Amino acid sequence: MENNYLLAPKANHGFSCKVPMKGTRQIFVVNGKVEGTGKPLALSFPKGEINADMLQVIGVRTTVEGLHAGIAGVCGAKGTAAEGQQVIDLNATDSIEFGEDCNEKLLLCSHTFTPDQFVTNERTLITLHRGASADITVMQNEDNRSKHFTDYTIDLEEGSNLKMVFISLHGGEISNNLKVNLNGEHIDCVVNGLCLADRSQKMTTQVLMEHFKPNCTSNQLFKYILDDNAVADFFGLIRVAQDAQKTNAYQANHNLLISDNAKVHTRPQLEIYADDVKCSHGSTIGRLNEDELFYLRSRGISLPEARLLQQKAFANGVLETISNENLRLRMESLVDKRLRGEFSSCKNCSKNCC
Amino acid sequence: MLTIKDLHASVGDKEILKGVNLEINPGEVHAIMGPNGSGKSTLSAVLAGRDTYTVTEGAAMFEGQDLLKLTPEERSWLGLFLGFQYPIEIPGVSNVNFMKAAVNEQRKRRDLPALSPGEFMKLMREKMAYVEMDASFASRGVNVGFSGGEKKRNEIFQMAMLEPKLSILDETDSGLDVDALRIVGNGVNKLRTKENSMIVITHYQRLLDYIVPDVIHVFYEGRIIKTAGRDLALEIEKRGYDWIIEEAEANDGK
Repeated sequence: MENNYLLAPKANHGFSCKVPMKGTRQIFVVNGKVEGTGKPLALSFPKGEINADMLQVIGVRTTVEGLHAGIAGVCGAKGTAAEGQQVIDLNATDSIEFGEDCNEKLLLCSHTFTPDQFVTNERTLITLHRGASADITVMQNEDNRSKHFTDYTIDLEEGSNLKMVFISLHGGEISNNLKVNLNGEHIDCVVNGLCLADRSQKMTTQVLMEHFKPNCTSNQLFKYILDDNAVADFFGLIRVAQDAQKTNAYQANHNLLISDNAKVHTRPQLEIYADDVKCSHGSTIGRLNEDELFYLRSRGISLPEARLLQQKAFANGVLETISNENLRLRMESLVDKRLRGEFSSCKNCSKNCC
Repeated sequence: MLTIKDLHASVGDKEILKGVNLEINPGEVHAIMGPNGSGKSTLSAVLAGRDTYTVTEGAAMFEGQDLLKLTPEERSWLGLFLGFQYPIEIPGVSNVNFMKAAVNEQRKRRDLPALSPGEFMKLMREKMAYVEMDASFASRGVNVGFSGGEKKRNEIFQMAMLEPKLSILDETDSGLDVDALRIVGNGVNKLRTKENSMIVITHYQRLLDYIVPDVIHVFYEGRIIKTAGRDLALEIEKRGYDWIIEEAEANDGK
């Protein structure tokens, strides 16, 4: 595995990641600085490069001596720190650039290593140049006391092809704010997400899909499974400019509420200024289906197992869109563990489970 | 094996079962016939543990246990199986994962080790052959996009996998064409042994050509009004239910 590190971490922080497959290259980013360079992440995939193997970026927050509530003032608008919190304010911006006609696979992981009350504000710019293809999976697994706010600005140029799947497994508060600009014609963009929250966790997703040019396709599927007192917020807007004729855009947000106290606010929206487009959106909020539960139980599947099967079936709609089979199987098993509650029983879950 | 005494059940304020008495011994096949809305499906749902029905009176003992106190899964572990009249579709759960979860949980309750993936697939293939199911069934979502006939075959396939002591087949023949009926009928017949029993709920004699019952009960207004040998089905096919209902009402002194 050592050979796979592009930039080997100075210390592995007791961290062992079971996700990467043979051939996966890894980069460690500790508190917003790439280990080995001390600078923010700036990835640039060269023009025409085709990589069959995945690049994994492991972004972690860990306790820094002397960094305490006092610096809350420099924090961004969203995450402000209370006393005793560790604030990781990534003032600098990460950038990931995909050169013309390249074809790359990227796994972006996010963890907290210590159970401090981290507040992370992060900005990530992603650019796909003409004809580039990017397959990006984002995996977020953080401590219950962690708050993580990320703004993604994604620029897509003509003929590019983006597939992005968010798996928000665990975290005190996770907020993903995406602005996707479809700047050229013939762009194909898929952004999906699966969020799992229980206890008093909070998950927020905002997606602004901006269709500026004609003949583009965008698809969104966001699914939430909420238990206990979890709260989720989904805001999605597809905006189709006057010039963006023949746009094909779809957005769906489906929510499964396991407990009586879980809550979700969902606001799917369309704003269309062109007159020859195919756009639709949909949102559902539901509970586990009683008929299905009875059917499963009548075959001898116990109530907890039956509920788990249903939740996994629901999650599967997003998981099956992960193209890499090994990664998909790994994510499926993490989702299984997560839904069985095995994460919450392990204090430093984000350190050891994956 | 199963003893039902004066069973009453309702949905909300509406009483549907009004005093059912039934005794089933190992190896017996009982057919239950009767007009629509007489409570046949309610009886099967109550026996399987559907909680939309409330049992208000009476008792049901199965394998020496108070059936009505058990959860649906506990009834299944004891060896009860309900073949659904309208099998439920479960998108996202494949037949193979569904059956793996069911079979392994049943084995766990009987202190048997879980089957290895190889053993499990072998068992699947063997049982799929009972109802002439194509190999592609295994990976498809449970009943999702299945035709009426495929759904019913899937019920019998599940019955074959779970090897229950008592199977309640609720209108397994409805919606089947002649070929599917033959496949389902033969499939059930192959599962018949000297030890296991069946309750076959049906409207038609034709299923009973395949699954020959020991006794036929006629259900009307929430209870059994007539019990006779297998020839009764032929007579019902010719004459309908009116004469049986009149006979019963005369006996009741109405």
